Amino acid sequence: MEYAIELKGITKSFGPVAANKNINLSLAKGEILALLGENGSGKTTLMNMLSGIYMPDSGSIFINGEKARINSPEDSGRLGIGMVHQHFKLVERFTALENIRIGMRGNGRFIHGKDVRKKIEDTAAKFGFEIDLDKVVANMAVSEKQTLEILKVLCYGAKIIILDEPTAVLTVQEIDKLFAVLRAMKAEGHSIIIITHKLNEVMAISDRVAVLRHGEYIDTVVTAETDEKALTELMVGRKITLNIDRPVIEKTHPLLEIRDLTVKNDEGATAIDHINFYIRGGEILGVAGIAGSGQKELCEAIAGLRKIEEGKMIHEGESIVGMSPKKILEHGISMSFIPEDRLGMGLAPSLSITDNMILKNYNEAKGPFVDRKSAREEAQKVIERLEVVTPSTETPVRRLSGGNVQKVLLGREIKSGPNVLITAYPVRGLDINSSYTIYNILNDEKKKGTGILFVGEDLDVMLALCDKIMVICHGKLQGVVNSEHTTKEEIGLMMTGTLNIVNKEGKTDGIAKDSAFTSDEEDKSV
Amino acid sequence: MLDVFTLFLFNIIVYNIPLLYGTTGEIMIEKSGSLNLGVEGTMAIGAVVGYLAGAKTNSLFVACIVSFIAAGLVGLLFSFLTVTLQANQNVTGLTITTFGVAFYYFIGNALSNSKGGWPMFSGAEESATKAFYEQSQALHIPVLSDIPFFGKALFSHGILVYVAILIAILMSVYFKKTVPGLKLRAIGENPAAADSLGVNVTLYKYLHIIIGSGIMGIGGLYMGLNMGGTFEGSNCWINGYGWISIALVIFANWSPAKAILGTFIFGFFNTLRVQNAALAYAFPNALGWLTKIPSHFFSALPFIITLIVLIASSLSKKKKSGEPQAIGRNYYREDR
Amino acid sequence: MSKFHLVRRADARIWRTLLFCFIGIVISLTIGAVILWVLGIKPWEYYGKMFTIGLIGNKYGYKSIEGLLKIFVPLLITSLALSLSFKMRFWNIGGEGEFLIGAIAASIIAFHSTGTPNFVTVLLMCLAAMISSGIIGVAVAALKVKFNTNETLMTLMINYIMLYVIRYIGETKADWNFFLREDSKRAKFGTFPDSAVMGGIHFGKFNLLWSVIIAIALTVIIYIYLKYTKHGYEISVVGDSSATAKYAGMSVGKIVLRTMFISSALIGLAAALTVSAAGTISDTITNGVGWTGIIVAWLGKLNVPAVFVISILISILQYGCQAAATQYPAIDINFADLLQGIILFSVLVADFAANFKIARKEEAKNA
Repeated sequence: MEYAIELKGITKSFGPVAANKNINLSLAKGEILALLGENGSGKTTLMNMLSGIYMPDSGSIFINGEKARINSPEDSGRLGIGMVHQHFKLVERFTALENIRIGMRGNGRFIHGKDVRKKIEDTAAKFGFEIDLDKVVANMAVSEKQTLEILKVLCYGAKIIILDEPTAVLTVQEIDKLFAVLRAMKAEGHSIIIITHKLNEVMAISDRVAVLRHGEYIDTVVTAETDEKALTELMVGRKITLNIDRPVIEKTHPLLEIRDLTVKNDEGATAIDHINFYIRGGEILGVAGIAGSGQKELCEAIAGLRKIEEGKMIHEGESIVGMSPKKILEHGISMSFIPEDRLGMGLAPSLSITDNMILKNYNEAKGPFVDRKSAREEAQKVIERLEVVTPSTETPVRRLSGGNVQKVLLGREIKSGPNVLITAYPVRGLDINSSYTIYNILNDEKKKGTGILFVGEDLDVMLALCDKIMVICHGKLQGVVNSEHTTKEEIGLMMTGTLNIVNKEGKTDGIAKDSAFTSDEEDKSV
Repeated sequence: MLDVFTLFLFNIIVYNIPLLYGTTGEIMIEKSGSLNLGVEGTMAIGAVVGYLAGAKTNSLFVACIVSFIAAGLVGLLFSFLTVTLQANQNVTGLTITTFGVAFYYFIGNALSNSKGGWPMFSGAEESATKAFYEQSQALHIPVLSDIPFFGKALFSHGILVYVAILIAILMSVYFKKTVPGLKLRAIGENPAAADSLGVNVTLYKYLHIIIGSGIMGIGGLYMGLNMGGTFEGSNCWINGYGWISIALVIFANWSPAKAILGTFIFGFFNTLRVQNAALAYAFPNALGWLTKIPSHFFSALPFIITLIVLIASSLSKKKKSGEPQAIGRNYYREDR
Repeated sequence: MSKFHLVRRADARIWRTLLFCFIGIVISLTIGAVILWVLGIKPWEYYGKMFTIGLIGNKYGYKSIEGLLKIFVPLLITSLALSLSFKMRFWNIGGEGEFLIGAIAASIIAFHSTGTPNFVTVLLMCLAAMISSGIIGVAVAALKVKFNTNETLMTLMINYIMLYVIRYIGETKADWNFFLREDSKRAKFGTFPDSAVMGGIHFGKFNLLWSVIIAIALTVIIYIYLKYTKHGYEISVVGDSSATAKYAGMSVGKIVLRTMFISSALIGLAAALTVSAAGTISDTITNGVGWTGIIVAWLGKLNVPAVFVISILISILQYGCQAAATQYPAIDINFADLLQGIILFSVLVADFAANFKIARKEEAKNA
């Protein structure tokens, strides 16, 4: 077989963390290869090495059988590799044609140079794109923007096209259209790598599937010879038993109940779609889902930072819908979210640990002054208890290492003694030891009777730590499972949208038997 | 009677063309996503250095080149500080203005007090700057200059008037039609997107900031020549025109073609301020009320109009504003 | 693509920043010295005169101190006020305009104050100035918060509109215009009645104006305000990350409005103190503090004690140039502005050098 891309022994580390370990991967000419893997399995890092954003620490890349060095996106483009990023790189106020023209080489010095429009239109026609070249990007729907991104790399002459989760933002009909385009591209002899989590899509579009897990290459299988169950097993692997405690505490009545919650994301698409769930005191409820399934929007909605389109949220018998973030906090719900850059939300990076401690309760002090004395004591306590490595309490958070930043953030969230603690990705980017410290902190909170919502990435951890796990896919609830009685495969299938058990066996997941919603209350608010 | 109008139109052009230089220069810089508040200072430096070079070599051409280079160097300083060192654009620009105007006075005073004195600008027979002077005077364009009324008003100007209009037209074509212009605008809108498409953001920013500053410099030189080249210790040649240029960029909605129109509109008020008495005298019944309006009102008008335009455009739902979206923010690419 | 690459230093050392800035200032002064030398002036003699602001061998030395303080007070208060808004990343460059509004408001009170006690008049002047300047600041902030109007350009326009307003007042003879002297044929600003002229404490011949004491007290108050109060805390959080501020439940819009009111009102106060100390108003009453204040605030890195020190240094530079001009007619006050610009440029470079280092690219990648 002739290969468009061959990767041999690719290794890439960021500091002590190995993102890719000795990866071997091949893409045949004219095939569609699906790259499958959980979050953090190293897919994006690997693809970024092909698009010239990173350089591998070791290993070699062969393009069309020849050894290649890709030092920059320009090199990558010259080798005929085009990447369609998950986050579009478009100039909003330009037309489609102008956006394409920016990166087009040749065709003279004028925007509407000789044959520019014709060239683009021909390319579009060849692959069956429907696109208005004079439409301004700002007026485009998401699917149109994506079409534009793909058309862009095709116009630049890319023969190898990498799509990073292209279907994440599309509707079913749009996905069908996209797949038709991909097949047309394949028929023209293009080679395609598509990153996706959705197994039905993998089955529908790909010729072969390569699986990564925890930065390691697992296997490549021919799609026709496999099925969704086998792929799930490859992706999530066998269950690894982790040494994380799961103390059993007597659970209380539901502290926080969510009904029919619907929330939109920043782009205006539905991020959370009529979700029901509840948290009891003394339990950890895990939230599992592929990245971008609405986790962020869910957390923000509960904390009062995002507008709710529909639905009810009751905390200890009182509706918190429409309350200000401050009010919700005073009510006893605390939320901490570790974003991908780990600093953006929840912390003021230039301020000291002390100052970050009081971010949410500085107003409680009497009089016009900020109470730094007790803040410093609290900072000291958090530093000691969570083993934060820092020169002093007055060190700006920016200067701490990632793990310590997260400890500070979590330390602040639990010190106010919330009875519902929402924590998203608290161990993101942490080493094993720091992660265990965080799990212990969460378990201590649980023992105090706090209800915890744990939004996580690693299924093994969630199975060991959480009492129950709710699985969401594309903003929809796929079911709530008991960690004792479930398997990784089951969760994997739910995450990828293959399995939905919300209404199985006559029960409805996410609605508590002893709900605080009385029937007349529900009538009232309908 | 017609003379008053001819002169009025003539003056609009003669006295306000520097605004066009300042505005087009600043548009070029702002289109790259940088807000340079140093127009006044850049023009002042271009003016004084260019004038002295012109007087020394007795050539308008040399004067223009030198003021372009001098002002371009100021642009280089601005680019180095804000693009490479990521310094704050507002502070850097304002300091360039303080520095530039001080430089103008400093050089002027130092030369005036020196033995040779400030070089005079004169077309007299024995003058050392005769050629320089004559080159900057109005050109007689065959046929066109002889058209009644419009000939004097529109086609009897110095070469630099036409150069300014030519620059504005060329720049408009550059932005609208050419690929480098497209890339430049992409940087001003979304530098990360441009970067991902292989546009050298740093190079483009440097180049356009330097060229834009150079254009401002020629505008400064023009002002100096218009003032008869005499240095006054109390009043800078640029006299706030740099600031009006910044206002005009907004008024013209970041379009060089509209900047030509804007120059004439701002120029109209400016000329009304100077000539209100003449107009009122010529038409006591129709325009007599002009003398009742204080001249300060006309001076402030460009700023008042711009303030209104600024607020109105931010209120309007339609985001048709030409303001580059990334303006004022420095672009820093993450580690690669 | 270059092999080298700039990396932010992991550790910010205050001494390193200070050292680099010191080197920057020394280089600036050296450039200044070269300019002087080219003009045939002995740099050390000139600098000597400048930095001693003509005190040495001058029996009217106390006048020099008084003159220096008259420059210092408005500059200090304005720089502090601007630091407040800059700390929030709100680009209030309308110092000049806000100062003029305050000066006009204070003068209106002053010209109508005949008969009222001095203390009451000056207090009323300050209040009038603070309220009128503060309102403009709030209006700008409201537009910014509500419609995201560009505040830099708005405040810039206000500067020039106000400049023509004060010129209009100063150059228009009319019955309504109480700002002007009645006994003069030419339009000329009148002097305030004694009731509106600021007094001071006399130490022999030296008159320490109340405004100096107020300015120093304000410095302490602003220091405490920014460092220890809830408001100050809110300003630093909003300036650092407005997303975090929202997340913590702060109402960012309210904080911006409040801080801009305080910032502009303080500039109004500076104006009131200045006109009261001068006993008159003029179109050059600002002495460019709206602009210089921005440079001072930036040089001081928006840090109150640093802004205090730098205000003193810049005042000495400016007043020293004026004082030295009597002996060096070729060099005037513009030399101070020139030097000021060079100092800011070199400090910007120095600050960068103190915070970044050059690293090999590969190393940077793995970091």
